[in-house]
Amino acid sequence: MRTAPPLWALLPALLVLAGLSGGGLALALGRVGWADWAAVLPDGRVWAALGFSLWIALASSLLAAVLGLALAMLLRQSFRGRRVVGGMVAASLTLPHAVVAVGMLFLLSQSGWLSRLAFALGLTDAPADFPALTHDGWGLGIILHYAWKEAPFVALVLLAALRGRIVEQEQAARSLGAGAWGAFRHVTLPALAPALLGASVITFGFALGAYEVPLILGTHDPQALPVLAWQAFADADLTRQPQAVAMALLLTGAAAALLLPLLFWLARGTP
Amino acid sequence: MKRLVPLSGAAVSLLLILPLLPLIFRSIAHGWRFPDLWPQQFSLRAWAFAFSSGAGTGPALAETVIIALMVALISVVVALPPAQLIGQHNFRGKGLLLALIALPLLLPPFAALMGLHGLFARLHLTGTRTGVILAHLIPALPYAIFILAALFARLDRGYVAQARSLGASPWQAFVRVTLPMIRPGLMLAFALTFLVSWGQYALTLMIGGGRVETLPLLLFSTLSAGRNDLTGALGLIYILPGLIILALTVRK
Amino acid sequence: MRPLLIATALVGSLSLHAQAETADGAALIGQDWAKIAEMAKGGEVNFFHWGGSDTINRYIVENIGGRLQAEYGITLNSVPVADAAEVVALIAAEKQVGNVDAGTVDLIWINGENFKAMKAEGLAFCGYVETLPANALVDWTDASIAHDFGVPVEGCEVPWNRAQFAFAHDSATLAEPPQDIAALLDWIKANPGQFTYPAPPDFTGSVFVRHVFYHAAGGPAALMGPFDQAKYDAAAAKTWAILNEIEPFLWRQGKTYPTTVAQLNDLFANGEVALTFNYDAAQFGQAVDAGIYPDTVRSYGLADGTIGNTNYTLIPFNSPNKAAAMVAQDVLLSWEAQLAKADPAVWGAATVLSMDQAGAELAAQFQALPQHPSVVSPNELAELALPELQADWIAAIERGWIAEVGQK
Repeated sequence: MRTAPPLWALLPALLVLAGLSGGGLALALGRVGWADWAAVLPDGRVWAALGFSLWIALASSLLAAVLGLALAMLLRQSFRGRRVVGGMVAASLTLPHAVVAVGMLFLLSQSGWLSRLAFALGLTDAPADFPALTHDGWGLGIILHYAWKEAPFVALVLLAALRGRIVEQEQAARSLGAGAWGAFRHVTLPALAPALLGASVITFGFALGAYEVPLILGTHDPQALPVLAWQAFADADLTRQPQAVAMALLLTGAAAALLLPLLFWLARGTP
Repeated sequence: MKRLVPLSGAAVSLLLILPLLPLIFRSIAHGWRFPDLWPQQFSLRAWAFAFSSGAGTGPALAETVIIALMVALISVVVALPPAQLIGQHNFRGKGLLLALIALPLLLPPFAALMGLHGLFARLHLTGTRTGVILAHLIPALPYAIFILAALFARLDRGYVAQARSLGASPWQAFVRVTLPMIRPGLMLAFALTFLVSWGQYALTLMIGGGRVETLPLLLFSTLSAGRNDLTGALGLIYILPGLIILALTVRK
Repeated sequence: MRPLLIATALVGSLSLHAQAETADGAALIGQDWAKIAEMAKGGEVNFFHWGGSDTINRYIVENIGGRLQAEYGITLNSVPVADAAEVVALIAAEKQVGNVDAGTVDLIWINGENFKAMKAEGLAFCGYVETLPANALVDWTDASIAHDFGVPVEGCEVPWNRAQFAFAHDSATLAEPPQDIAALLDWIKANPGQFTYPAPPDFTGSVFVRHVFYHAAGGPAALMGPFDQAKYDAAAAKTWAILNEIEPFLWRQGKTYPTTVAQLNDLFANGEVALTFNYDAAQFGQAVDAGIYPDTVRSYGLADGTIGNTNYTLIPFNSPNKAAAMVAQDVLLSWEAQLAKADPAVWGAATVLSMDQAGAELAAQFQALPQHPSVVSPNELAELALPELQADWIAAIERGWIAEVGQK
C-alpha cells in the first residue's frame, strides 16, 4: 500500500523551503538596484572578502575531511575507551560555534594557553615569538576552529556509511591477499567517496557562511564576506543596506556556482 | 600498532577537551595573565554575576530553550509528510527535489534573511520570538526531512498495510503503527533541529534585532567588553543544555 | 506566498505585546508631569543599552529598575546589546513598513552617528525634554550637552553620562608614558611592537585616529561645523602619512590591527602592548577590580587634550510606552541616580548635571565620592577636553583609514 501524503500536508514544509528560503532570496534580489551593484562590484574589499571566505571554506573542509576520515577509521577499531572517545566526538557536535571559537581564542592566541606552555618550556621568550594563529591574515585560527568542529561531523557521517556492504567487500579484498593499506586505498576509500564528498560539501557551505567565528578569530583585513555584509547592513547610513544585500547575494551566487554541480552529481543516483 | 590505537584515542580525547579547559579556568580566575600557566587567584565573581538578576542569564536561557523547542517541534511535524513521500515513494525528479531541500544547508543564509528582513518588519515579526523561530526553521527543516526520510525508507510497510486491511483509517494507521515505529528517529530529528536552533547567533541577531535575547547574544556582549571571566562562565552555561539533550537522546 | 503572509500576519499580530497605551507622543508634550507619571503607572519599558559590563548592567537592573518598580510600578526590561547601530536598523525597518505605534524599543542608550541617523530619519520622539523634573539641573547652554557629536540635540534625547577618552599604562613596567600625540608617535618608533590601535570602524579605534587627525590638522578648531572636503583632504593626507609611517613599528609590524577594543585590552593585559585607551576611563578601574589588569595600572589624559562626548537616552518615535520611558529617563537623570553611578564602586561614570545649578550641598556630595586609583579624575580630564566632530567627518575618516591605511 503506497499512500502518498496529501498535498495539504506537504504545504507547510513547502512554505518554509520555498516561501522563506526561496522567497527571501527573491525579496533580496528585489532590494538591490543597479546603483547598488555598481557600488559593490568594483569594490576590491568585497572581492578580497569573497576570496578570503572561499579560502576559509576550502581549507576548513579539506582539513575536516582528512581528520574526519582518520577519526572514523580510529573509531572503527575496538579498543578500551572507544565508547568514551565516541561520546566525546558526539558531544563536540552539540557545542555552539561561538563558545568553541572563544575557547580557541583562549587556547591559540599569542598570549593563550599554548603560547604560555611554549614560554614555560623555554621555547619562546615573549608572546610575539609564538606563531600568530588568531587574528592573522590567513585565517588560521578560523580554519583550525572549523577543522576541530567539523571533523567529528565528517567522522559520524562516514561511520554511518561504513556499515554493511563495505565491510564484506573489505573482507573479500583482504582474503584475496590485499594488505590493510591496499584494502583501504582500493575498497574502503572509493566506497566512502560519496559520503565524504557529501559531508565536505556541507562543511564547505557552512564555513563559507561563517559569521561569528571570523568575528571572534579574524583580522581587520581581509574580513570574511558575511562579516563585511552584516557590518554594512547594520550601518547607521541606511543607504548601505541594499549594498549589504548585494554582498550577501554575491556570496550566495558563489556558493551556488561551486556547490550546485557537486550536489546534482551526488543526487544523480536517485531517479 | 596495537598500542597505537588506544593512544590515538587518548590524543583525540585530549584535543576535543582542550578548547574547553581555558573556558573553565577563565570563569573562576581572578585575572589570568601571560605567562601564568594556571590562574594565581580564584574568584567566583563571574559565576555570582551570571546567576544574578542583572546578568539576564535566566531569561536568556529560557528564551533560547523556548525558541529551540519550538523550532524542533515545528520542524519535525512539518517534515513528516515530505519525509514519508521521499522515503517511501519513487517519482520523477526526486533527485532534484532532494537537492533543492538540501540547498538551505549549503547556501549561506544571509541573502535570504536580508530579503526577509523587510517582509518580517512589515508583519511586525522583527524583534519578536516568532520571527526568530521562523528564521531558524530555514536551516533546521532540511535536517529533519533528511533524517525522517531515511527512517521511512527503512520502515517495514507491511505493518501499515496490515493495519489498513484490518480496517484502520490512514490516520489511525499512522498514529498507531507508523508513529511508534519511527519514534527513535523522531527523537534524533528533534534533538538535531533543537541543536541547530540552539547554536544560532547571526540569524537571531538579524531578525531579533537584539530584542530577542538568547544566550549567544549575551556571550557576545561580555566578549565585546573584554570580560574573559564572564564570557567563560556564560560559555559554560551555554554548552550544558546541548550535552543534556545528547545524553537523553543516546539513552533512549 | 499568500497563505504564508496571512498566517505570519496573524501570528505577528498575536505577538504584539501590550497594546500601544501611550504611543501618541503629541498627546504627552506639554502635559503636566504628574499626569504623565500617572499615565506611566504599570507601564513596561524595553531599554536597549550596550551590555558588555556587569557593573553597568547591575546598575540599570537593580538601581534604576528597582526604583521604577517601587515608585511607579514600571517594569524596566534591560536589553543588553553589543552595538546600538543594530537597534537603529531595527527601528528604521519598523518605520519603513509603517509600524508607527507598536515599536519594540522604548528607550535606547545612544549618541553620535546613531543619533544623527535617528534624528535625520525621523526615528526619534522629540520636544518633551523640558517636562522632565530632573531636567532642571541640566545646563543646555553648555555646547557639549546641547550638541551630540556636533548635531543639535533639539529636545530629541536626554543626557545621561559624560565620557572622555583616556590612555592607560602599567606604572610597574612603563613609569613615564608619552603625554601628547607628538611624544606618542616618537615613543612608538622608539619602542617597536609595543603599541597598536583597533582598526576603524571600531568605535574606540576610530576615536584614536581622530586624535591623530586633530594633531595633523593643528587642533580641532578649524574642523568644527559641517563637513568640508578641502579641509578634510588637507588634514587626511597628513594623517595617513603619519599613520603609515608608524605602521612598521606597531604590534605585528602593523600587518594586522585588532578589530575590537576588547582585543586591544587583552593585548595590554598580557603585556603584549604597553598602552591601551578607552572612551570611558571608569572601564580601567573595573578591569583592575575584575583582576584583568594589574593593580599598578594608571590612566591619564593628554597634554594637548582628549576627545570627550556626552551620551544620551532616546525614545523612538514608535515606542508604545512613551510615558513610562519618560519616567525612566527622569529617574536616570535624577541626582540620586547620577550620584550613585558616579561612584567607582557602582560604575564611575561622570555626571551630566551642572554643578552650578545643583547647588553647593549637592556638588559637595559629588566631590566627596571616592576615587579609583586606576581611574584618572573626570575633573582633571575635563580641563583639557576636545570636542567631537560631526558624524560626516567621522564617517569620512573611517572610510579614509580603511582605504589608505588598513588595506595598504
